[in-house]
Amino acid sequence: MEGILEITGGVFMVLGAVSLLVASIGLYRMPDFYNRIQIGTKASTFGASLSIVGVALIFPGWIPKLLAMLLFILFTNPISSHIVGRTAYFTNVPLSKRTKVDRLKEMSPGHLKKVKTKD
Amino acid sequence: MLIVLASVLGIASMVGAYFAIHSKSLTVAIIATGVVSLISSILFLLLAAPDVAMTEASIGSALTSAIFFLTLNKIRQTNG
Amino acid sequence: MGKKTMIALITLALAFVIYPLYQSYNGSETLKDVGQYYIDNGVEETGAQNLVTSVVVTYRGLDTLGEVTILFLAASVISFFLSFSKNDRIKSRSIRSVTEILTTSTQVLVPMIFMFGVYIFVNGHLTPGGGFQGGAVIASGIILMFLSNPRFKLSHKVIQFVESTSGIVFVLIGAAGALMMDGDFLSNKIPGFGFGEVGSIISAGAIPVIYTFLGLKVGAELSNVLGVFVESQSEK
Repeated sequence: MEGILEITGGVFMVLGAVSLLVASIGLYRMPDFYNRIQIGTKASTFGASLSIVGVALIFPGWIPKLLAMLLFILFTNPISSHIVGRTAYFTNVPLSKRTKVDRLKEMSPGHLKKVKTKD
Repeated sequence: MLIVLASVLGIASMVGAYFAIHSKSLTVAIIATGVVSLISSILFLLLAAPDVAMTEASIGSALTSAIFFLTLNKIRQTNG
Repeated sequence: MGKKTMIALITLALAFVIYPLYQSYNGSETLKDVGQYYIDNGVEETGAQNLVTSVVVTYRGLDTLGEVTILFLAASVISFFLSFSKNDRIKSRSIRSVTEILTTSTQVLVPMIFMFGVYIFVNGHLTPGGGFQGGAVIASGIILMFLSNPRFKLSHKVIQFVESTSGIVFVLIGAAGALMMDGDFLSNKIPGFGFGEVGSIISAGAIPVIYTFLGLKVGAELSNVLGVFVESQSEK
């Protein structure tokens, strides 16, 4: 029984590693910054989660800590890449030439302006 | 196996250090410094020093980078 | 003789000097006397499961006090020098509007990060980590607060209170060991702080108490440095 759990955990970890590999290939292949950041975040979050699930199957005693780690990764990775992407957009990092829609520009023109505030 | 991992990380940190010194953009240099400390924190972990690794990860890559960015912003503001 | 040739020559000379060191180096398999002493007697003498903590807080407690003093001096000097630039600043900063995602996630994440920092320094005698690491983690939570709300201001009164109180408590605990038990300064032997069972959270004498105050002090100091840096940002 233990053997099955270990093999399943190993399979999960290999899947996670493959996902991370896809992420790194995507970082190289994608045309512009925004595509790179989205593949970097999505695939690497997925890969890290899969690896953590694999470790949880192999070492069931660590499950509480691994769960905390998983939650933290799922929380912080998308948020940080959201902020990085947004900052890149506002500091005029160029979009790819093949970009068809730019929702952030359509949304509200005032949104793009720097907001002057006094404090 | 461990020595391969350590060598790969060491080479990666050397590449990061090269970027930190020679990159044209200061932002890239700051990020490269953060990467170097992150990699060295993993190396500390491999050398069985988790305390040092935690200090390096939190101070070296988070706090110093933040302070460098704030300083860079201030310098840009004063220089126009 | 170009610059690059010089650099190559210097590198070669360095390699020539350093190579014998590398050649004669063999990693020591056994510990030196001091390390062996810590491993043999550390757990009985301090009751801490984490030997690094017992060295940092008890055996080399005075050095830790010195480190905290250096950190305090650095923070004070930074706030002193950055306060000069405050006078002529114009109080308008251009701030990009912060998204709701960031503000909401900050509200969720910052308590978690603070709790993690507190966990690190409260468990300093059991698991790796301690006051410095926990304090740094708390300060990185403060970075997130500054990012999500650029107009957020740290209360200097609270920071000063936390910082000075924990410094004083740290020294007082150390002095209590010296005065009451006739031991040494910061010797971890204080009446009322039993050693307890090794590995439980209430154990190791005064180490958890000292580390808690150390963590608060370091966290307050690093947050103060960050706060001063953020406050000195201005735009003409």
